[in-house]
Amino acid sequence: MFKELDPILHSQLRLAVMSLLISVKEAEFTFIKEKTNSTAGNLSVQVQKLKEVGYIDVAKQFKDNYPQTTCKITAKGIEAFESYVNALQAYLKV
Amino acid sequence: MPNEKQLSEKESLQLNTDMIQKVKNSYHDKGVGPLLWGTVVAIASFVSYLQLEYDFKLSFDIWLIVLGAIIPQIYLINQDKKTQKIKRHEDAALNAVWLVYALTIFGLSFYQSFAPNAAEQIMKTYGWQLVKHQIDNSKPDEIISPFTPSFYSLYILVYAFPTMVTGLVKKYRPMIIGAIIAYSLFIVSCFTETKYDFLLGAISALACWFIPGILLRRMYLQQKKSNV
Repeated sequence: MFKELDPILHSQLRLAVMSLLISVKEAEFTFIKEKTNSTAGNLSVQVQKLKEVGYIDVAKQFKDNYPQTTCKITAKGIEAFESYVNALQAYLKV
Repeated sequence: MPNEKQLSEKESLQLNTDMIQKVKNSYHDKGVGPLLWGTVVAIASFVSYLQLEYDFKLSFDIWLIVLGAIIPQIYLINQDKKTQKIKRHEDAALNAVWLVYALTIFGLSFYQSFAPNAAEQIMKTYGWQLVKHQIDNSKPDEIISPFTPSFYSLYILVYAFPTMVTGLVKKYRPMIIGAIIAYSLFIVSCFTETKYDFLLGAISALACWFIPGILLRRMYLQQKKSNV
């Protein structure tokens, strides 16, 4: 029996954000935007969804008088990401 | 990137791999830190060797250039913090390793400056002192201060430690090779005169930091060029 894929992660941009955040301690919003080739508005919506389910933490602060948003994966996010990858591997029999 | 595009399982796995690879390729050390330290330690060590080999003394302690390099290093760290857009998991651990390295170097310098004098005083309380005695009696006995033989060997050993940790954590082969060279030169230095220890120290600094620094710098510039 195959495990159902997490619908939150099974979307291109959200998965890209989570894949990026899993490999770093934290990343700036502008960095994620650049690496995912997304627009600020689109990315904001997806980041908010990931935040709402508790997969990432978002911190807003000022750096050299400019607003700065940093994102960080949570323990719940790591767990969800691992389950998602395990489920994918089961589907693909990797 | 469309926001809600549903992916096939294969596409999802591929996306994972691509993003992780993108992050990996997005950050390269600028190499300025290793270049700076490799240069100053190599120069200080080499000049120390020259002073002993050709019996001359500079009007200032050449090792002060190492202290002087702390100022640009602090500036570089601050600049890096300002421009850095990601924090990697290993950053905090590696910073701790280099901080401990700096403390160890400071500890060794402190030991070298104060331990001989303190040992001399302690010896005096026991009523004895160190005397240099020529085996063939060609010269009269001479009272000397306590010293640690081949002390610079310990510095070479300490140079290798953070370099090896950084190389292993970052999987950066030039630093691993540099550290292996330094460990080997440490062993060699245990059997050589102090003046040659300085020469070996200069080679260690070049192998541990200067050469990996040049390679890092080259990679960084190549990456910058490809991003333009």
